[in-house]
Amino acid sequence: MVDHPAVEVDDLYVGYGSTPVLVGVSLTVAPGEGVCVTGENGIGKSTLLRCVSGLQQPDQGTIRVFGGDPGATPEFWRAVVTTVEPPTWYPGLTAREHAELVCRAHGQDPEEAGVDEALERFGLGGHTDAIPPSLSSGQKQRLVLALALLRPSALLILDEPEQRLDREGRADVASLLTDYVAGGGSLLMASHDDSFAAASGAAITTMESLSADLP
Amino acid sequence: MTVVPLAPVRRWISRTQSSHRERGATLSSLYVAALTVAIIGGILHRQLAEVFWPPAPDSSGLAGASLVAVCFGVLYLALRRFGPLALSRPAASWLLPAPVSRRRLLLPSLRLAAIAAAVIGALAALAIVGHVVPRVLAGAETALLTTAGALLGLALLLIATAAQAGGRWGDVVDTLAGLFLAAGLAGLVASTTLDEPVGVRGWPPVGTLAPIVGGGAVVVVVVLALVVRGLAATPSDRILEASRTAGTLFDAAFGIEPSFLTDMIERRYWARRKLRSTGLPSRLPVLVTQDLLLTVRRRRRLLWLALGTTLPVLLGSAPGWLLGAAVLLGCLTAGMTATGNVRTDAGNPVLLRLLSLSSRQAVLQRLWVPGVLAGLWAAVALTALDLLGDLPSGPWWALGLTLGPVGAAAAVHRARAGFVRNELLPLDTPMGTLSTGPLVNAVMGPDLLLLGLPAWIAIGQGDDLSWTTVLLQGVIGVGGARVYLSGTTSDDRTELSH
Repeated sequence: MVDHPAVEVDDLYVGYGSTPVLVGVSLTVAPGEGVCVTGENGIGKSTLLRCVSGLQQPDQGTIRVFGGDPGATPEFWRAVVTTVEPPTWYPGLTAREHAELVCRAHGQDPEEAGVDEALERFGLGGHTDAIPPSLSSGQKQRLVLALALLRPSALLILDEPEQRLDREGRADVASLLTDYVAGGGSLLMASHDDSFAAASGAAITTMESLSADLP
Repeated sequence: MTVVPLAPVRRWISRTQSSHRERGATLSSLYVAALTVAIIGGILHRQLAEVFWPPAPDSSGLAGASLVAVCFGVLYLALRRFGPLALSRPAASWLLPAPVSRRRLLLPSLRLAAIAAAVIGALAALAIVGHVVPRVLAGAETALLTTAGALLGLALLLIATAAQAGGRWGDVVDTLAGLFLAAGLAGLVASTTLDEPVGVRGWPPVGTLAPIVGGGAVVVVVVLALVVRGLAATPSDRILEASRTAGTLFDAAFGIEPSFLTDMIERRYWARRKLRSTGLPSRLPVLVTQDLLLTVRRRRRLLWLALGTTLPVLLGSAPGWLLGAAVLLGCLTAGMTATGNVRTDAGNPVLLRLLSLSSRQAVLQRLWVPGVLAGLWAAVALTALDLLGDLPSGPWWALGLTLGPVGAAAAVHRARAGFVRNELLPLDTPMGTLSTGPLVNAVMGPDLLLLGLPAWIAIGQGDDLSWTTVLLQGVIGVGGARVYLSGTTSDDRTELSH
């Protein structure tokens, strides 16, 4: 895993109908590096992240994640965490129990993994007994990020993680992402907020700079 | 604040809507509806006559009283679940916040609910009278009893309307109605096991019945007037909730997609519950503990399931194949009480990806709790039938336990079925076009109950049960569940959908 780049995208083409969205996109994320893709709405940031997560098939081009195909295998999902798609929460399970479930599924002890500290850090300390659908959209976003950071992973693919967070929340998440990358994890995210991206220590790149020149 | 008169607004809406429709569209829909009722009535008139007015009374007094509890208990709970006062979704969005008279806005809904409740109450009363009361009764008494049924239906509607606007006492009344329904079902089961005389004797004459029904009618009319007066006090949130229910019901009927409705009911249930986080025990596999937690948190559902084990007794005198089918369907229902999580995963695999479990691990773990529930349910149901003498001798409890894997596989398969596929090709039949999507969706789940064929045959034949049959059922059940697991899941993918 160490020999390969975390993400290697080469000459990617994706179109919706006759509208090309990604044209000749190339991108490399080295292990232990953070990359943040910026750009206006509709420029294809989310499509790129979906392709890298294996949730969308590109029309053309190659994508390698840790040297392998992005896909649906459990091994891929043990290494990669993505927040590109919103979850459907389990019925009758509280926020804390969701966190505990994720830890247990990865063989972690919830106490040692720091479930309570993680929820506290994301401002959910007073909502551990709430069922996630009853939380506000910002709190749900925090819970998703808390779950994503609780479990072990080698690559985080985050789509606008700063969305729906208040100023303090953004600063907290940015520092957690810095720690994640400092701990050897790789990060690929899309964002509208340059200062958030800078605070999270990720190298900022624009979609235009990744794309081949249009003919 | 000036109150805008509602009638001109409603007239304008209906005029504008009808101007967008084709000429005669309403008439033609009315014609199709009347024709449908006439055709179905023509086909089923014998069965309908048997249900409402059999040639001779065929049930005991206890069964009659129990039917009263069951029919009116279900009516009340249904009224509460659907409102009873609701508006269409556009009206809830545009007219509810408008400065119009709230009472006038809600009156049509109350009128519709009152007609429905009265008709259902009258039909239930007619059917119960037909089954229980001796034919010597004059027409006047039957008419009075049917009227009493309609009045009872109206009275329940009025209580439900007050509960919709009222506080927490509504929940207490709901619980009482649930207990009433449970008592009715227990009475029905008891009436099939006790050897009671058919019909009732000594019915009060018209002279006694007429004043009672008349008095009831006066009370209902007075309370109705009070309810209409207080209609404006119904809180908006309750009306909005009922309107969403009505809208979802319409979507479910229009898209032939019952999961819209069940999902909404499930969401509302959990939104009202106050939960406390508990630690998941680490000894069991993680998804088994999650299913257990979900099941234990729905204790009332478990109680209904336990009560349901006695329902096959009602079919004790029916043909054996029907009894066998009922036991297998009961297994499926028991299993389905614990498949909420697998339905979530099948609909959206995001959390399963976060857990990074393979589809095989996930489905294997998700089969356990439904399997235990289905096995226990079938064991208790078959033991009850055995004790009451509806089955020949044999180790029926053991046969019930072997149905566990069958119920589990069928319930999990059902939960993974997902949405109705309306893009499937429709079939042209002499009776008209038949859409295959809902049909295919409906059999997904029940189809795996065929793994219970040995048990079905054993119950249907009515011969003594041998241990060989039990063993055969066990092998087919476990083997079938394993084949289902290996055939529909894989170690190298996480998605549960087929």
